Amino acid sequence: MLKNYFKIAFRNLWRHRVFSFINVIGLTISMTACFLIFLYVHFELSYDSFHSKADRIYRVVTDLKTPSEMLHTGGPSWAVGPHIVQEFPQLEAAVRTTGDELLVRKGNVKYQELNSLYADSAFFKVFDFKLLKGDPATALNEPLSIVFSQSAAKKYFGDQDPVGQTVLLTGDGLTAKITGLMEDMPENSLIKADMLVSMTTLTRKFNPGLDDQWGNYGNSTYILVKPGTRISALQAQFPAFLERRNGDEMKRLNMYPTLLLEPLKDVYLRSTRNGNNTGNINNVYIFSLVAVFILLIACFNFVNLTTARSAERAKEVGIRKVVGAMKAQLTAQFIGESVLLCVIAFLFTLGITALLLPSFNQLAGKIISTGVFQNGHFILLLLLAALGIGLLAGLYPALVLSSFKPVSVLKGRFSTGSRGVLLRKGLVVSQFTISITLIIATIIVYNQMNFMRNQDLGFNKDQMMVINTNSDPAKEAFRNAVSGMAGVKSVAMSSSVPGGGNPGAYSMIQNKKGEMQIANLDLYFVDFDYIPQYHLKLLAGRAFSRDFQTDTTQAMILNEAAIKLFGYSSPKEAIGRRFSQWGREGMIIGVMKDFHFRSLQQEIKPLSMRIEPNGCNLISINISAKNLPATISDIEKKWNALIPARPFSYFFLDDFFDKQYRSEERFGKLFLNFAALAVLISCLGLLGLASYSTMQRTREIGIRKVLGASVTNIVNLLSGEFLKLVAIAIIIASPIAWFAMHSWLQDFAYRIHISLEIFITAAILAALIALLTVSFQAIKAAVANPVNSLRTE
Amino acid sequence: MIKIAHLSKWINIGNIRNFILKDINLNIAEGEFISIMGPSGSGKSTLLNIIGMLDNPSEGEYQFFETEVYKLKEKQRSNLYKTHIGFVFQAYHLIDELTVYENIETPLIYQDIKSSERRAIVADILDRFQMVGKKDLFPTQLSGGQQQLVGIARALVAKPKLILADEPTGNLNSKQGEEIMELFTKLNQQDGVTIIQVTHAEKNAGYGKRIIHLLDGRIEKTETNK
Repeated sequence: MLKNYFKIAFRNLWRHRVFSFINVIGLTISMTACFLIFLYVHFELSYDSFHSKADRIYRVVTDLKTPSEMLHTGGPSWAVGPHIVQEFPQLEAAVRTTGDELLVRKGNVKYQELNSLYADSAFFKVFDFKLLKGDPATALNEPLSIVFSQSAAKKYFGDQDPVGQTVLLTGDGLTAKITGLMEDMPENSLIKADMLVSMTTLTRKFNPGLDDQWGNYGNSTYILVKPGTRISALQAQFPAFLERRNGDEMKRLNMYPTLLLEPLKDVYLRSTRNGNNTGNINNVYIFSLVAVFILLIACFNFVNLTTARSAERAKEVGIRKVVGAMKAQLTAQFIGESVLLCVIAFLFTLGITALLLPSFNQLAGKIISTGVFQNGHFILLLLLAALGIGLLAGLYPALVLSSFKPVSVLKGRFSTGSRGVLLRKGLVVSQFTISITLIIATIIVYNQMNFMRNQDLGFNKDQMMVINTNSDPAKEAFRNAVSGMAGVKSVAMSSSVPGGGNPGAYSMIQNKKGEMQIANLDLYFVDFDYIPQYHLKLLAGRAFSRDFQTDTTQAMILNEAAIKLFGYSSPKEAIGRRFSQWGREGMIIGVMKDFHFRSLQQEIKPLSMRIEPNGCNLISINISAKNLPATISDIEKKWNALIPARPFSYFFLDDFFDKQYRSEERFGKLFLNFAALAVLISCLGLLGLASYSTMQRTREIGIRKVLGASVTNIVNLLSGEFLKLVAIAIIIASPIAWFAMHSWLQDFAYRIHISLEIFITAAILAALIALLTVSFQAIKAAVANPVNSLRTE
Repeated sequence: MIKIAHLSKWINIGNIRNFILKDINLNIAEGEFISIMGPSGSGKSTLLNIIGMLDNPSEGEYQFFETEVYKLKEKQRSNLYKTHIGFVFQAYHLIDELTVYENIETPLIYQDIKSSERRAIVADILDRFQMVGKKDLFPTQLSGGQQQLVGIARALVAKPKLILADEPTGNLNSKQGEEIMELFTKLNQQDGVTIIQVTHAEKNAGYGKRIIHLLDGRIEKTETNK
């Protein structure tokens, strides 16, 4: 019996190649898309779950209340880690980490290690990063101990055993010992480093006393709790702990921290405190939803095409019933056929996914999976899904087909006519509703991306080359050498540039009422040339000037957001008010227009600027567009002459700033791809349905033509029907898309307005696509000679 | 074998009851060869379908081998007809996707007969119909007469007690038609298979031992051939 079913299924599929092709292609595309999305979602959800103690690891974060604002930081102050572990017996360990860019040198080999991480010695106790050589318990104990990842070690030592050898941390002229070699950190790890440096290097050598600094932030702290610890109870004890250890300072500074615990597994996807380098649970939801949609569309195609073709199968059903088939047997046969189809699609999916995976990794910006066939259980899951899809998609058509009455079917003329037409129309409408929603969403995502890229940021980012001197003593000399060069328009130094990080400083500013108001202000150290070079506009007062000696120590410039924070209604009022910040005191000499020093996702925060040559490590060089390569190579020569110990590296500010949108850009690209797929699959279905419905109406078309209908009349007749469905879909999709995208846009502080044009564009696009798909069939039918179709009837 | 009493079938068009069959009373014994005749719309095919349990009457009684057909459950009824009745159609109604061999085999599949046994039975009947050489062809590769032979072979393969034939020669030329009729006669006389055929042609009706004339849903007259 099974053999018979298989045989007939295969022959049927082969006989109706076009339909089978559409079904298999549609299912393959959708299963491939779903599989890729599944791999992506699974990868995103798998972050940090490889740690065997992941369920007991928590990240300590802080809500910091100042008199002016509430700050949500990604870590506590430096003192919390060492103190919390002494105080609470529930904790097994605490680890602080902080990133850095260290210059490492071994003989002539030198690299700026961009992914260096200082870590406390319990690092390997808490986390499961695998140490290949060295003792995990002690590797990070002593100051100036380094653990390299395998790929980092290779750069310096080739295939030699690095453990026990030394390198120079050249910037500080220190010799550090390699105490361990670890496996490269997995891709799905929140913590990523090529080089670990013992935290004691920082707390004993570079910055003694850091362990007791309660007001100094800038590290991430992770704790490992003992099994069975109640987190809410632990968290409830924190205020008393802070009060005991740090109460006086809290009162003096008027800054009140609250410590909170985030489960490690939630940090990557759910925490909002990570800045730009993080996942987003909403994206995971969105893509999962898109996967379901794509799958639905393909299933609808299947149901549509199969039921539309049911008249053809009706005779077979009738005969089988007459010769003794039970309804259940026929149902099983038809479901079997759809399952077979899905299994074929499954095989194609495996092949295509294997081919696409490298480009998908590139699109997603990370190695989501190295190969389909590494994941046996995923393949099994996909197979089960394929069988499930076959079962679900096949069920309805199978029930319809197997319920035909042999008497009516076998009596010659049998038309499924109006049967199931409403259902088919409904499914087409739902498919297009999904497709159009995705089209609208894609347009909005892209508009927002364009908006962010083209928005006037309030500063000049063109032709701006930025070099990090990493506080090399020769930075001033280099600056002076570069500023006179041909092709260099101007040079400025600063601690930070837009799009990068900057310190936040405990500040007291005289507010409108005359009181010294405490706030945490973002801070840029700059030089005299910075404001003119970046074309920052002053609204009141003046820029820093070499003519005023006091400007180097006693002058501050605030932005509009800052003076609003302190209650001033006009920029002028703030001029001449007093400030106190990081040991400096003086006057506010100017107010600058707000500029976007962070991405457009974030509101412009209150910003202060001061002159502080020691703090300025970044050199911004505004170079002329002419002879760019020559100018850059001249600058490199100067660098190598003056700062030979450090590798020459630079970036252009416009690229650098746009990097902040990379994850949005990826999101947009992924979204575009999947939306295009959804549309494609819908069109495949439409194509099949259109060709079928024209085929069925061949006779009607023939009669109409004999009665005098023109080709245009016929094409209109056939296409109009489908366009009506698309129109309904547009009406349903628009409000859904508006609602979804409206809430998506809420993540952006600066966002586009969702205009009517977007909907009109999407509507026209969808109608055009549908028309193109349908009209080909319609025209073919319309130009056919009516004599042929009427004769065969 | 078959006892039909007061059997009627009607459809309602608006408020008017249109009779397709009206008060049919019919007894058929095992081993009979019956022809049903009548003009188009007289209810021949409907009666045949009702006898074949493909269709239900609006009222009336039907006993098949002493079993009240309408008191059976769907499954039992279908079991009854699939073991006892074979159908032959005017348009042959072969499954185009299956070969001659597979078409003939299909009824056996639905009776859960083992595949080795099936092979023997089908080989036997192919031999009897002299179609061994054509067993791997598809229906569209055969002439109409050959297709009908396959149709009859398929009807016979499960060894039914009763063959119901709805204009079996309607699509065939007279020579092919004669051959089919000869075959029916042989089956009836040698194998004792009961045959009920619906036909338009007097000549073909003459092969039957009893001819039932239908007109407007009633039995107009019954002739007996000697």
